[in-house]
Amino acid sequence: MSAPQKPNIDRVARLREIARAARRERLNVLAWQVSLLLLLLAIWEFGTRVPWLAQNVNVLDPFFVSQPSRVLSKLYDWTFGVKAGYLWPNLFSTLGATFLGLIVAVSTGFAVGLLFSQRRRLAEILSPFIIALNSLPRIAFVPLITMILGLGMASKVATAWFIVFFLVFFNTFKGALSIERELMDFCRTLGASERQITRTVRIPNALAWTFAALPNAVSFSLIGVVLSEFVGSTTGMGYLIIVALATLNSAEMFAALAVLCIVGVVLVMIFRLLERRVLRWAPEFREI
Amino acid sequence: MIEIDRVGQVYLTKTRDIWAIAEITTTVATGEFVSIVGPSGCGKSTLLNIIAGFIAPTAGVVRVAGVTVENGIPPNLGYIFQKDTVLPWYRVRDNIALGLRYRGTPEREIKDRVAALLALGHLDGFGDVYPHELSGGMRRRVALLMTLACRPTILLLDEPFGALDTHTKTLLHKELIEIWREMGQTVVLVTHNLDEAVTLSDRVLVLSAPPSRILLDHRVDMPHPRDVFTVRETPAFAHHFQTIWKVLGEQFRTGAVEDLAPARRGP
Repeated sequence: MSAPQKPNIDRVARLREIARAARRERLNVLAWQVSLLLLLLAIWEFGTRVPWLAQNVNVLDPFFVSQPSRVLSKLYDWTFGVKAGYLWPNLFSTLGATFLGLIVAVSTGFAVGLLFSQRRRLAEILSPFIIALNSLPRIAFVPLITMILGLGMASKVATAWFIVFFLVFFNTFKGALSIERELMDFCRTLGASERQITRTVRIPNALAWTFAALPNAVSFSLIGVVLSEFVGSTTGMGYLIIVALATLNSAEMFAALAVLCIVGVVLVMIFRLLERRVLRWAPEFREI
Repeated sequence: MIEIDRVGQVYLTKTRDIWAIAEITTTVATGEFVSIVGPSGCGKSTLLNIIAGFIAPTAGVVRVAGVTVENGIPPNLGYIFQKDTVLPWYRVRDNIALGLRYRGTPEREIKDRVAALLALGHLDGFGDVYPHELSGGMRRRVALLMTLACRPTILLLDEPFGALDTHTKTLLHKELIEIWREMGQTVVLVTHNLDEAVTLSDRVLVLSAPPSRILLDHRVDMPHPRDVFTVRETPAFAHHFQTIWKVLGEQFRTGAVEDLAPARRGP
């Protein structure tokens, strides 16, 4: 092996310059994002203080949209201030139902998806029913679920399950069917029994598709729970929003929305990380 | 020993029955390296699938070590597919150990054998990586090691090097021939690369366009060990290559016409 030749200094400098430019570009984008957010908050905060705007433009009327400062102080009240502790039970109720719904939906979606991929006749018989059920607007079922299961955890979990199950089921089913025959034949030549094929090939393959659906599944689970809380519940972030509506308290409503927004973003980020961790072996499954 | 006895294969379609294989009879001796070449769609892979017991022949029988291949895969048979069949969710080490784990080999023995196989495949230091981090040639090696871990006495290779660049291909040829000379498996290699077939094998079978039969059964009597890097330049190689190409080239020329001609009706 000969030593690498001397690099062309100019070209190396050019490559460095390109890398620097890319970093600068990322910072630039971030700066714009932060500025835009601050601008919107500023319009919201100060626009609502201009009497003419507040009276003539509905979206700048503090009665409807409150103000960032008031929302912040409301959040402070709920957490450490005069109503300290008011937020936590509601937040945990929503979070608990979201996780429970997610766990139940992911495990059943995975199991049924895998089963259907192996029992083709069962899949064929049931597929029109599943397609029908899936194409119905699921929101329409929430009152029925609430009527049957009452105002509580059960309704929330059931609603989340109802929305998330199909997402996970379809992803797993499609993934389990996409497995290559050669892969299984190869393992058979290595001496695998059908049970061993299921354990080492079918299940890991299906699990990959299940996990790929997780970030979406968690947001849908949260949506399902809040939806159920709107229709009928006595706790939860959705309940706080409905109470705010009943009392026409826009600061409370925005405070609840802000919490939901943060919770949603954090949950999706956590599950993206989890997905990345579990699907370390499969770069093609990862979202960018 | 593999006996292929008047094997025929039909594919049924809505409008007609297509005879992929008309009739093939041949024997592969124990420890022999046989290549099968032929125009695309001539049923080379189908024949390999029949030997492995993946599909049952429409006519005739295959016997492996005197036992008719009927229900399932004959014991001690390894099969390398053209497709990448390394399991992406296992590390290289666990992929190679897969066959041994299926058989319930004790973990301590697995550890030693996997280490030896990694060395054999020049993959030391890659045991703990996931397959997607390897190059195409390395993944081929892993698939081969997965099979070799089970110590097959018969090795069926279905265009295993098709997707690789020439350099990697030649290196793998060298490794394959060394493994074969050391372990003495019976090898059947399906390929569309005549160079590869002549370099590696003791015998080359030329199949016709479908409905296929054996047009030529040519013995490549070049001595082993062969140097895969230089054997192509020898006069003997040129002689064998040309003898086979005379028959094979004709099939490539007429293959397109045969495809359009109506297939023979099934019985």
